[in-house]
Amino acid sequence: MSDETKLASGDSVCLPNGLVSHGDSRTRRVYETARSLHSGAVKDLLSLGVCERCIFRLIPVEAFDSDVSSVSTSTLRSWLESGDDETGPLESSCSRICIVCLGILQFVFSDAKQKLVKTDTSSDYAARITELVKQDRHEFDSFGLEVSVPSIIIENERAVLSYLKGKYSNEGWLQIKKISVKDALKILVLDPLRASLGAKSDSSTFHIRLIYSRASDGAQGASEKTHESKRRKTDAENGSNCISENSFEKVYEPCLLSVHCNKMPIFFSGRYFKYSRNVSQSRWIIDDERMGEASVEEILGGNILPACLGDSYKFHAAGREDIDVRMLGSGRPFLIEIQNSRQCPSEQSLKEVEEKINNSEKKLVGVKDLRCVGSQCWAMMREGEAEKQKQYAALVWISRPLEDKDLNSISSLIELKILQKTPVRVLHRRSPLDREKIIHWMKVEKIKGNSHYFLLHLCTQAGTYIKEFVHGDLGRTTPSMGSILGCRAEIIQLDVTDVKMGDS
Amino acid sequence: MEIQKIEVAKNPEIEDAIELPKKRSHDEVEDCEEQQQQQEAQEDEKNRVEEEDELRNLLLSDIGDLPISPPSATQVNFVTYFITDFTKSGHDQYIYRHANGLCVIGLAPTHIAFKDEGGITNIDFNVGKSDRSVLKVSGKRKKNALRSESNTALCKVSTAKDTYIVRCCVKGSLLEVNDRLIKQPQLLNASADREGYIAIIMPRPTDWTKNKESLITLEEYKEKKELSL
Repeated sequence: MSDETKLASGDSVCLPNGLVSHGDSRTRRVYETARSLHSGAVKDLLSLGVCERCIFRLIPVEAFDSDVSSVSTSTLRSWLESGDDETGPLESSCSRICIVCLGILQFVFSDAKQKLVKTDTSSDYAARITELVKQDRHEFDSFGLEVSVPSIIIENERAVLSYLKGKYSNEGWLQIKKISVKDALKILVLDPLRASLGAKSDSSTFHIRLIYSRASDGAQGASEKTHESKRRKTDAENGSNCISENSFEKVYEPCLLSVHCNKMPIFFSGRYFKYSRNVSQSRWIIDDERMGEASVEEILGGNILPACLGDSYKFHAAGREDIDVRMLGSGRPFLIEIQNSRQCPSEQSLKEVEEKINNSEKKLVGVKDLRCVGSQCWAMMREGEAEKQKQYAALVWISRPLEDKDLNSISSLIELKILQKTPVRVLHRRSPLDREKIIHWMKVEKIKGNSHYFLLHLCTQAGTYIKEFVHGDLGRTTPSMGSILGCRAEIIQLDVTDVKMGDS
Repeated sequence: MEIQKIEVAKNPEIEDAIELPKKRSHDEVEDCEEQQQQQEAQEDEKNRVEEEDELRNLLLSDIGDLPISPPSATQVNFVTYFITDFTKSGHDQYIYRHANGLCVIGLAPTHIAFKDEGGITNIDFNVGKSDRSVLKVSGKRKKNALRSESNTALCKVSTAKDTYIVRCCVKGSLLEVNDRLIKQPQLLNASADREGYIAIIMPRPTDWTKNKESLITLEEYKEKKELSL
């Protein structure tokens, strides 16, 4: 290249040997690289049907880098072809799919509607990808790029490399490690995508996955595949001098590309209240019939999910209560995990969700302190688990009248140790164990005009079965309310009045 | 029904009175701030009391009519069945079946053993091929549980007069036997229907459906024995 004229990129200059070169220094580098590739190998690969960028990949002089992305496919081809002055120009095989990368590095693919999409430069390609990403309506300012390609590519590449090894066994460029099709695509399109999407790239919480799959999927039976790979392996070992037609699959159709966007889950924390004795904590269905009239999980998740435009939700709570037990007082801490949310709701919209739930007609469930939290939320749930204490109010009936001395005998029991065998009502799904639990304190509240009923307030260790502590579970929980008072005791209803967590 | 507020239950951790910061002389700003603090503390206290009142109202509002004698936990959670004259005349037993499929087995009030003078004095779980009271069932899958047939022996109960064999009546896995009976056999005389239960068995759904046909309901039992229980 004699003329060092400064030209704006995009201008072309006619050089002495009839070549056309852009003034841009990057493209000039690529041109020089193209000329420096082993011409014999280039000719072989071109005639086999390997695409231009794959040639750059497979016969590397230096590392394959993003400069290559700045040059269009057709320009690359003209540089590679014209390196060979002896034979005339090869038949224009621009329209054929590369036998190795199946069109991926040629920026050719079929879209969801089975239409063929051809783009020449990486920025055109990036523009098409951006269109597809925007369809999903995600809000993001940074992304991570992932690519997945059909496995046939590895096999075909191996066949081509073994052929080259056989023919050019002494060349140095054979030993250089080749960049895979996946990595090459990422190198080529990352910068244009960043520009086109207007976002940074990092291994962030939002991923764009480009999934290439074979157009005619499942065309081959599994047994056929194994036979093929066995044959290919022997070829690789022998380093055959010509590529046998059987050692790789000729694919004539470009791959199907689908773009999947996925956001890592986001979390919301808060405390919920359960005012109904007919609402379960999570969705409970037996034999196609729902138990209870609603569930806390569905009421909370069903209201938060639309505010995030997410795909689905998962509900986690710090403990649980039975369907017929109300959750009052300070509420129970919970987490809602939203999968693939498209937007993070504002404080205002979270307030609206809270109000909607709290002001609903039926007043089954309440919520407070709803807010978005980061990944430290799990630590929050675990925190105080060992010291978690729960407070309850139980309506108790006893078979003899309550006496004044009973009030004292009950409230004097501090840090009472009880032994609970696994209650019969959960024995079908839990291990039969003896669990030692602590009742921290108890207080009796009399009910006027009725000496057989009273309200029992108690504070217990997490994991204590309150109902069984009151009625004794056929004597399998000792001591029980009945054994302490020396009579029969039954629990009529139960409410949770406090769930103590480390933070409150 | 009016609820009396004597013996108000208070969380012993909550202070009865909140200490207010002592007022210092000098700076007006300081005074202002402290007044604010006082006000806030009073507000917090008021809120807390309000919340507690709200809670108490919720707790008490739900209490409707209170029956003199409510149904027991057993009656609410289990369906009661009986089997009479099982393998031998007078061998009547109850089977409480829970909604989760588990069956609690015990001696029915009309069991022949109760007719003997002095009632039951002893129980021995060492029958058949093993001592039922030493079986260790573990895990959710209930490993090592004895697979019993309906006529598998559970235990022997002895009175002054005689010894009677108690059988499973239900085909399934034996999850537990009431080993408290070994040291306190009088539980059988005093409350055979509660603390004096004998064993807990987990039948398979198909086995239960077949078994159920040989059992009778509480009503049928009463009729049969012409009792007013």
